[in-house]
Amino acid sequence: MRRVIVATAGLLLLSINGRHAGEPAADGTICPLPGSPLSEARLLAIERENGCLDFEQNAEPLSWPPGWDKATIAGGDVAPIRVVSDPYPTLHSLVVDSERNKVFMSDPNRHALWSYDRLAASKGREQVEPSTGIRGPATGMMFIAAVTIDREAQEIYTVDNDIGDRMMVFPYDAAGNVKPKRVLEVPHQAWGLSISAERNELAISVESSRQIVIYRKGAEGREQPLRTLRGPKTGLGDPHGVFLDGKNNEIIVANHGNQGGRQPAPGDAPARQRGTRVSEPQPVVGGHFDEPSIAAFTADARGDVAPIRRIQGGKTGLNWPMAIDVDRTRNEIAVANNGDSSIRIFRRTDAGDVAPVRTIKGPRTGIVGPMGVAFDPKNDEIWVANYGDHTALVFSSTASGNVAPKRILRNAPAGSPTVGFGNPGAVAYDSKRDEILVPN
Amino acid sequence: MHGIFYDHIHDEIVVPVALGGAILTLPGDAAGDAPPKRVLQGPKTGISQPDTVFVDLEHDELIVESGDDAVLVFPRTAQGDVAPSRRIGGPNSGVSNIYGLAADSKRDCIIVANRVEGAGRQSDDTILVFNRLDNGDPKPRTKIAGPHTGIIKIRQVFVDEERGLIFATIKNNFEAYNYADPRPSPWDPNRTGFIGVWSIDDNGDVPPRGVIKGPATGLVWPAGVAINPKNQEIYAIDSVSNALFMFKMPEFFLKPPAASSRAGR
Repeated sequence: MRRVIVATAGLLLLSINGRHAGEPAADGTICPLPGSPLSEARLLAIERENGCLDFEQNAEPLSWPPGWDKATIAGGDVAPIRVVSDPYPTLHSLVVDSERNKVFMSDPNRHALWSYDRLAASKGREQVEPSTGIRGPATGMMFIAAVTIDREAQEIYTVDNDIGDRMMVFPYDAAGNVKPKRVLEVPHQAWGLSISAERNELAISVESSRQIVIYRKGAEGREQPLRTLRGPKTGLGDPHGVFLDGKNNEIIVANHGNQGGRQPAPGDAPARQRGTRVSEPQPVVGGHFDEPSIAAFTADARGDVAPIRRIQGGKTGLNWPMAIDVDRTRNEIAVANNGDSSIRIFRRTDAGDVAPVRTIKGPRTGIVGPMGVAFDPKNDEIWVANYGDHTALVFSSTASGNVAPKRILRNAPAGSPTVGFGNPGAVAYDSKRDEILVPN
Repeated sequence: MHGIFYDHIHDEIVVPVALGGAILTLPGDAAGDAPPKRVLQGPKTGISQPDTVFVDLEHDELIVESGDDAVLVFPRTAQGDVAPSRRIGGPNSGVSNIYGLAADSKRDCIIVANRVEGAGRQSDDTILVFNRLDNGDPKPRTKIAGPHTGIIKIRQVFVDEERGLIFATIKNNFEAYNYADPRPSPWDPNRTGFIGVWSIDDNGDVPPRGVIKGPATGLVWPAGVAINPKNQEIYAIDSVSNALFMFKMPEFFLKPPAASSRAGR
């Protein structure tokens, strides 16, 4: 949850009836009327700003529910007096193709995928323009989470998290409001993505149902997973980052540790997709909070099986571990540790309550609420996507401690605030402090 | 998290944690990695995946969505693994898939924003009003639902007890992405969401008494609503545009609505 202190964003609009924002109607009531051409234009503009509307689409006139035209209804089509939103992309995850010198980043704020040249960097406070941007209604991207790539096929993968329940695949050179090359329906609250070229498989982590679903690479439509990893023995708790390691035949998973109050469905039940249920509702057993962990399973694991290793405990410093990546040359796992704004590096084979071999953390690093992390073994670098700042950072693979990044890539002018909204679902007013509270 | 309540009397923030099957109560000035004052969680609570909460400050009770198609009522300061004082749920109650909860201590009732998913573009969303002390599987005392209400995909609700008004967030849209379409879209731009206002005394298939709806509002998929009666402002959070909209709506705060005679059609 983040505290949002109300600030005037300066977006004052004129309502269609000529009434200025904040100015009450003379008689205190307004009968709303169907939208005028002017209001339609404004609707289109707002939707375009939000990446939700096709630029070429012409919306039909607004339809109002039956009976509203005869009712006396106060309010109507009223412009807001203040708006808080972030006009810039918010970085979630990233992935590097060092052979083609490209970096791809996911942006849940503007529902977009952005690509940059690998060496693009801000020299000062200025932002860097992306090479390409994929956004708009045809893309199907809503509240997207992870991004990954199939380097061989030159395809970009991303997944909708809490709205949409889709995985979308685009060619490297896609740009604009384009339909994906293919779409796969995935369980609700998918977060992490990982492709194994060796196994020709794709792994997806799913938060609330606490599962890892494995599909064949190239799966589309309503295709079912090849196998599902789920159940109490797995210890999966609100899984986020996932890495399917075909070389070492393992699946590595970052767990926040949240255990919902309902027992996970049996691991051999099919993964829930839109309009389906995995099985009868499972019994309510009560929720609990486990310590965050990094768990390793065999790549062939299915059903309710225990991990073969688990990194967990006070020495690990794990706190909201988000994306992970594995450097299979150095045999290291990098974790974007959102809770304490650090990157933690563990040995791939670590187990138990162990300290990381290196931690990148501190004010000089510029790491603020990291969500994404990616190794670039070819160039001996590690990339970090800041959710709490409009930056991606590049460090040496062996960086440790409070060190400055080698390069900074800004997607907004330095100092631009990050609002931090991510599919917000509620709001409250704190009358004591005159503040508005928004949980994410 | 899909719910939040600010308790101005005790200066506390109450949030449901769906992923951890818990209700957390934090100090009103909590920031950063602050620990909760109280955690309500465990098998006795009956809480599995809570999405929304409300606190009845008059009766010192915490009202929780169970995640299991039920309304659970606890003492406000309940913590740990304790059973609820009362539970509303079952076929007579019609409680299903709760997305919003509120209470009106003056009128002694609990308001439930109910979302009944149908196939495709069908929905049977409802605002259910129960007597505050209802327990078990009672029928609601009133029910606002039907095509004239415009309620489709309801989310957070809030009550203005002074004026007896229910403020409801209506998404008014369905997942619409059809990959087979030449130019698919995940939502219907002709069905943007709105804030609807009903009297707590309304019953049946009745239009709202007030709305914030239309292109100028900027609302796309509003998911949450709060009110600031002192400044006559309405706050709406939008889950698609990732934006917080603030509206000055004096007409919603001028006077209590006339006693309702708008029975169901």
